[in-house]
Amino acid sequence: MRSEVREALIAKLTALADDEVILAHRNSEWVGHGPILEEDIALANIVQDELGHATLWYGLRQQLDGSDPDQLAFFRDANEYRCCELVELPKGDWAFTMLRQYLFDLYEALWLEAARHSTYPPLAEAVQKIIREERFHLQHTQAWIERLGQGTEESNRRLQQALEMQWSYAQQLFVPIPGEELLIAEGLVPDLAPVKERWLEHSTRHLQAAGLKLPINPGYQPTSRAYHTEHLWSLLAEMQSTARWDAEAKVW
Amino acid sequence: MDTQWPRWEVFKQDTPSKPHQAVGSVHAVDPEHALLTARNVFARRPQAVSMWVARAEDVYAWTKEEILEGLATAKADPSLGTACRYLVFRKTSHKRSMTFVDHVGEVEARTPEEALQQAQARFSDSEALAWWIVPADKVYQSDPSQETVESWFAPARDKTYKQQQYYATVGSHISKHKRWRGVEDEE
Repeated sequence: MRSEVREALIAKLTALADDEVILAHRNSEWVGHGPILEEDIALANIVQDELGHATLWYGLRQQLDGSDPDQLAFFRDANEYRCCELVELPKGDWAFTMLRQYLFDLYEALWLEAARHSTYPPLAEAVQKIIREERFHLQHTQAWIERLGQGTEESNRRLQQALEMQWSYAQQLFVPIPGEELLIAEGLVPDLAPVKERWLEHSTRHLQAAGLKLPINPGYQPTSRAYHTEHLWSLLAEMQSTARWDAEAKVW
Repeated sequence: MDTQWPRWEVFKQDTPSKPHQAVGSVHAVDPEHALLTARNVFARRPQAVSMWVARAEDVYAWTKEEILEGLATAKADPSLGTACRYLVFRKTSHKRSMTFVDHVGEVEARTPEEALQQAQARFSDSEALAWWIVPADKVYQSDPSQETVESWFAPARDKTYKQQQYYATVGSHISKHKRWRGVEDEE
């Protein structure tokens, strides 16, 4: 593998993993606070799955540059993270959390489907492992969008409010990282443009069927993954505190 | 206003050759939601291939003792409609902690009580400690397609980290701490 392709692949795997870790941590804030015990368990289940995906992506990166996944997750500062801003936003209410998880699940499921034929065997293999559980996640969050959207006036209002906020942030999921065109040219990862087209088609249909209106104003749309919202700093301070407290700890 | 969501009984099938077994219940707003929730709550352990849910209020349940007391006697009512299908579940052992009744088959009857009588006659191979009778049209099943079975149940097999035993090295048996405390007390 040419060195610039290898560098781009490392960056892409990092972005994929960082999205999963940060979203998982955000959603883990619901543990013990879910609207009902069953949904508390269900969301914790999704969180564990997303962390599992992050472990896979960091693991692929480790094969390329020997980096330690735990070091990446717990000892990098916010400026070194390459997650998108959508996953950093505070968890908000249940509608906000379910909508974000839905928009992300749909993106992930469609991206994975397109990435099944990656020319990089370790990536194609990882995709096979996680694509099954993404289908289930998507069914679950999709069901919540329908029920909140068509539920009461209040649940619809809250979901609509979340959509106004998140819609433009979500578009960042489809902004290629620097060097991604090299990976696409070699068939290592799929082109994001057709994935976005399918995402827009699916999400628009489903959100409108749930009684929601797509925002007309484009709003703030982040582009570079080198920049983050202020929320990432406090999230990492909490997430990394135990690991940084005693970096040499083997048993706890 | 009662804001509690209705309760649904959950039946889980571990392998295609095993019966569906009652494993517990979930609260949910509708059948689809109940199945999704049940999958999260009860299929985190490795084995499952199918799930059923039914509203708790649609389950007619009798223990052996209640039947002896005559609580399950069919009320003779000539105005009863046509027969419909009922699923029959039976408990035959006190030794199981994770499951309650097993699915044994189905009968056609006009009332749940009539269904029970038929069930007692038909499924008499071992003593029943409790019966559950559920109208077949009140039972909702997980999608049997290969794709759904794969995405709902297959991944759980690989996720040993979701099982308690996986973390056995972190925890330790209570007796260890008691011994240690004993030593400290002596000092």
